[in-house]
Amino acid sequence: MTQRPLTARGDSGLREQRPFHARIPAFLYMLLCVLVALFPILWVVMSSFKSNAQILSSAVSLPTAYSFEGYRMALEVSPILRYFFNSVVITMLSTFLNVFLVSLAAYVFARTRFRGKNLLFSILALSMVIPMTALMQPVYQVITSLGLADSLPGLVLVYMALNMPLTLLIMRASFAGVPASLEEAAYIDGAGFMYTYFRVMLPLTKGGLASAAVMAFLNAWNEFTFALVLTKSAAVRTLPLSLSYFTSQFSFNYTALFAAITMAVLPSILIFAVFQEQVSQSLVIGAVKG
Amino acid sequence: MKRILSLLLAVVMVLGLGSALAEIKLDYPTFQVGVNTAAPVIAQLVEEFNALHAGQVVIQVEEIPGDANYIDKIKVLLNAKDLPPVIYGAGYNLLDLALASDLLVDLTPYVEADPEWQAMYNDKALEVNSRDGKIYGSSAEGNTIGYFYNKELFEQAGIAGPAKTWDEFFAQLDTLKAAGITPLSMDTADSAWVTSLWMGALIATSGEAGQAFMAQMMPDDYNTPEVIGALEKIQKMFQEYTTFDAVGGKYENAANAFLSGQTAMIANGPWMIGDFSDTTKAPEGFADKVGVAIYPEGFAYDEPIQGYLVTRQQDSAVEQAAVEMVKYFTGVHAQTVALEKQGMLPASTQVEITQTAKDNFPLLAEFVVALEGAVIRSATTQATMYPNLLDIMSAELPNLASGAMTPEQFAQALTEGAAKNK
Repeated sequence: MTQRPLTARGDSGLREQRPFHARIPAFLYMLLCVLVALFPILWVVMSSFKSNAQILSSAVSLPTAYSFEGYRMALEVSPILRYFFNSVVITMLSTFLNVFLVSLAAYVFARTRFRGKNLLFSILALSMVIPMTALMQPVYQVITSLGLADSLPGLVLVYMALNMPLTLLIMRASFAGVPASLEEAAYIDGAGFMYTYFRVMLPLTKGGLASAAVMAFLNAWNEFTFALVLTKSAAVRTLPLSLSYFTSQFSFNYTALFAAITMAVLPSILIFAVFQEQVSQSLVIGAVKG
Repeated sequence: MKRILSLLLAVVMVLGLGSALAEIKLDYPTFQVGVNTAAPVIAQLVEEFNALHAGQVVIQVEEIPGDANYIDKIKVLLNAKDLPPVIYGAGYNLLDLALASDLLVDLTPYVEADPEWQAMYNDKALEVNSRDGKIYGSSAEGNTIGYFYNKELFEQAGIAGPAKTWDEFFAQLDTLKAAGITPLSMDTADSAWVTSLWMGALIATSGEAGQAFMAQMMPDDYNTPEVIGALEKIQKMFQEYTTFDAVGGKYENAANAFLSGQTAMIANGPWMIGDFSDTTKAPEGFADKVGVAIYPEGFAYDEPIQGYLVTRQQDSAVEQAAVEMVKYFTGVHAQTVALEKQGMLPASTQVEITQTAKDNFPLLAEFVVALEGAVIRSATTQATMYPNLLDIMSAELPNLASGAMTPEQFAQALTEGAAKNK
């Protein structure tokens, strides 16, 4: 009786490798997942080479010719590169400030007792369910009265605040999951509050931090309405606004629109492709700590 | 001490003089940017105005791409009572919204003091831009609209030309359908512009009551025989004579169906003429196949669109500069630029249809001739209805099209929507 080959699986043990034909359904399923994930991106890229008529008449057909005219028009019609740069700056700043400041609050909510703590936490968390349209007017007036309208700090402040409830929820849960004994050990060893927070607690909640940062980043990166209302000049406007340049009530240029979307998303995809290992690791760090 | 005081006084005077002589900045938010057909017109007018008033007034354009985005932002600014000095009412009836908050400057004395400007207003322009005998706006666009038809497809179906009556029109639809040609481009999304043009034409030509309905500013009651009758025909058009993607489709889908030769007719204004020769949207030579007509029973949309409005500002110098801007943007020169660059028919009869415009847009010349036969004229339904009804149109038209809603129920939905503005 011949033995089937054994292959290593991580460091937890060995398992028997199944024959190729038995693995075909798994491969097909994975292929389907890849296609579902890639199709929208490929469709956008393909559409950027098609004419308006082709896009509207036969949405899933392949381009008949590959011309970069759409890209030329996209750059000519909208200040997409400028807006892209603004988006990078505003999103990075707001994400960093959001995660840094809100995690401090989350730590306090997770670890300390004070009168009205649950009420305060509920109020802060509930702000997540207020509709954007209801926030529009008061936010506009506050930002204007602070003299921050049409400014980079104004938009950073708003995005930081908009993402506060979600980050607070994620980070409080993350801090609460860290055993109190680790903190106590740090205090016994002579560590102060700040040292314990930055050197002990934050490293142990990297998973939560990464999740909160990813959510805050995506929300800020895609946000449209506040960027529209709170800004006037090209110097502070963000990427989502640039995509509105290609359709109006009686006119449209879908070729340029898809070219613009391609230019807007490809850098993010490339960055993720390059750093995917780090991103994936950061998302699971802390998941097995307890 | 005296020297210091004198020096301080001199500094204050210089600063004061400086601020008095400072260039006035006019923030002007506009959606007429990007692919908007009016973008080159506005760019030229801004450049010319700034050059003309160099050192005194400068227009600072705030680009708000997308018509809906513009309206959303203006509404926020309006609620905050922080409107820019000049806004464009366009087809969105911003005049009444701004006037309700007492944020508009009465232009009457300025218009009356300038015979040239006063002459730009015909009765319709005066009506659309005035409230309670006071002028608040100045129009630049005529909003003259008929429909386009594909001459080649008409010929294939054996149709000689545009219908004179609705009976003939519906017979043509059957003829086209029998020849395997989809007769109409229609839409439901984004306020259903194309569909609402057919609907308004049907209402306006249903008799005196229909004309009276179309003449109303912000009608409250859509439960009328003429509206319900028009909706019955619209329902039939959706169910029998249009493309499968009309329900849920936007203007782009309707336009593409016509531009690709899939449908035989589309209701739209002359600003579409440029698209017929745009080879990224239509096949080479398509422009030669297109004809233009007024609607059956001699109807055409022909009423100036609500124009530029000047809003109240703390600094009267800014208001004055804003009035100057509006005067320039709605003058003969500005309307001629729009005519020749965009194919937009002027709001004022003082503006001549130039040979350059006819050369640039041959169909426009054809349309101007066709317009002479129009015996019934009105504004579009979208220009006169409460703004919230545009959303109701988009939301409920698919139900009307599918038969899930009767014309009576649709009319009731519009009436209930209108009542929310009380």
